[in-house]
Amino acid sequence: MGKIKDRYAIVGVGESERSRNSGTTPLHMALDAARAALNDAGLEAKDIDGFMNYNENDSCTSHQLATYLGVRPKYVKDIQGGGSSTEMLIGDAIGLIEARMLNTVLIFRSMNGSSGQRVGRGYDPDMLQSALPGGSYIIPYGSASPSQWFGMFATRHMYETGITKEHLGHVCLSFYEHAQRNPKAFLHGKPLTMEKYLETPDISYPFNIHDSCVELDEANAIIVTSAERANDCKSKPVYIMGMEARQCHPNAHYWADLNQVASDYVGENLFQSAGVKPEDMQVASIYDCFSWVVLRQLEAYGLAPKGEVGEFVADGNLRMDGKLPTNTAGGMLSEGYTHGMNNVLEIVRQLRHEYKGAERQVKDCEIGICTGWSGPDIAGAMILRN
Amino acid sequence: MNGQKPIPLKTQDNQHYWDMADQHELALQKCNDCGKYAHPPGPSCVHCGSTNLTWESLGNNIEATIYSYIISYRPFLPGFQDDLPLIIAQAELKQIPEIKLMCNLLRCNPENVQIGMPVKMIWDDITEDRALPQWVPQEV
Repeated sequence: MGKIKDRYAIVGVGESERSRNSGTTPLHMALDAARAALNDAGLEAKDIDGFMNYNENDSCTSHQLATYLGVRPKYVKDIQGGGSSTEMLIGDAIGLIEARMLNTVLIFRSMNGSSGQRVGRGYDPDMLQSALPGGSYIIPYGSASPSQWFGMFATRHMYETGITKEHLGHVCLSFYEHAQRNPKAFLHGKPLTMEKYLETPDISYPFNIHDSCVELDEANAIIVTSAERANDCKSKPVYIMGMEARQCHPNAHYWADLNQVASDYVGENLFQSAGVKPEDMQVASIYDCFSWVVLRQLEAYGLAPKGEVGEFVADGNLRMDGKLPTNTAGGMLSEGYTHGMNNVLEIVRQLRHEYKGAERQVKDCEIGICTGWSGPDIAGAMILRN
Repeated sequence: MNGQKPIPLKTQDNQHYWDMADQHELALQKCNDCGKYAHPPGPSCVHCGSTNLTWESLGNNIEATIYSYIISYRPFLPGFQDDLPLIIAQAELKQIPEIKLMCNLLRCNPENVQIGMPVKMIWDDITEDRALPQWVPQEV
């Protein structure tokens, strides 16, 4: 990855409308997001020779998207996956461009995450027992939702590190505060106070509704190309400094070792590939399907001192005037949820200084980190700069 | 989706565990090559990849301590609507601390559950011929 540093860039980002009920199909939303990203980059659909998508059998294919953009690309790829897929597909796109197989790649995620298939409400139990590794050891016990799976990890981690419900609340409050500056955030106009947070009953301890991401209908798209081609684009390129696409840890859903998570293996290579340190990060997009996941990742990436992540967020460091403004559009907890891609869109806009003059711009930010978390079993991240 | 709780599905890899559970005993998969236990069981050892696996019976007197837990106030699967709040807990086996087994914690008020709490395994007869391992507090 050392050789790749700063040689590839994100040149286009775009999204569809965001709602509880889109009244349309993932294909329609993907077309909206793709056209927005193309327009942002100043490119035409025929300039894209690779299309990639991640999904959970809840979307349209890359082939369908390209077809209805009226083009015939030479490469389409659809993978099954949620969190950390964005980073991995950007890594794949870089590899394919580096091998001169492709020039410019569009990556998208489109889902009716609210009106269609909804992750947080659980799945069909028979399907889960067969589909999940170790499924027969969790499903008969009533554990079928990511809030329950990640919660098991969270309770132990909180016990070992002294993280409290208030600390989880500070993550939520920080992101909800960002959302109040983002008119497109789903929870814009719905600020959160600590009192209200602590009064909210748990859905599944240690999480209440505020600790959980907002499930919505939405599509996002990102365009990646080489630094040379980026110069011909309309947008200000955001360069990829470093990438650690995907690290793993055994046992996807049945965790015997609650101390280790895949994110713990990402940071060292990531910072080395980018040639920077955690303290150089000026803005962050931290995968936030649940509030606790942010805390565990701050620790994993060395963005806050181990054992002090609770104090780090309680001191306001994720807020606009903090040490590391994070998920500045509101994150998945309060802006929207596309398994991480909406957080990538936001950090690209921050690094372009697209909000310059507005309150929501992280002043003079030049380097940022973007993390992905599929679960304790799979994680990846990248470092971006302007 | 008939409103009944899901019954553990026996597969090629987990059959022995559930067969033994039906007889109210705990059996764990162990690797003959690296000597480590694996749970959940699989087609080969998750520690070294060996297929030289065996099953070790641990009997029916299983003690453990709560390692982590969650408390669900909403059913995420059919059949659990009358069991709320539901405690799901990982417990560390006294005999083999590296193994943490996930079950429900029964006969325990959610306000009383805490990490480190001693529990023991019971087997809940969920059908005529099937049984589900569960945790209960040791003092019950």
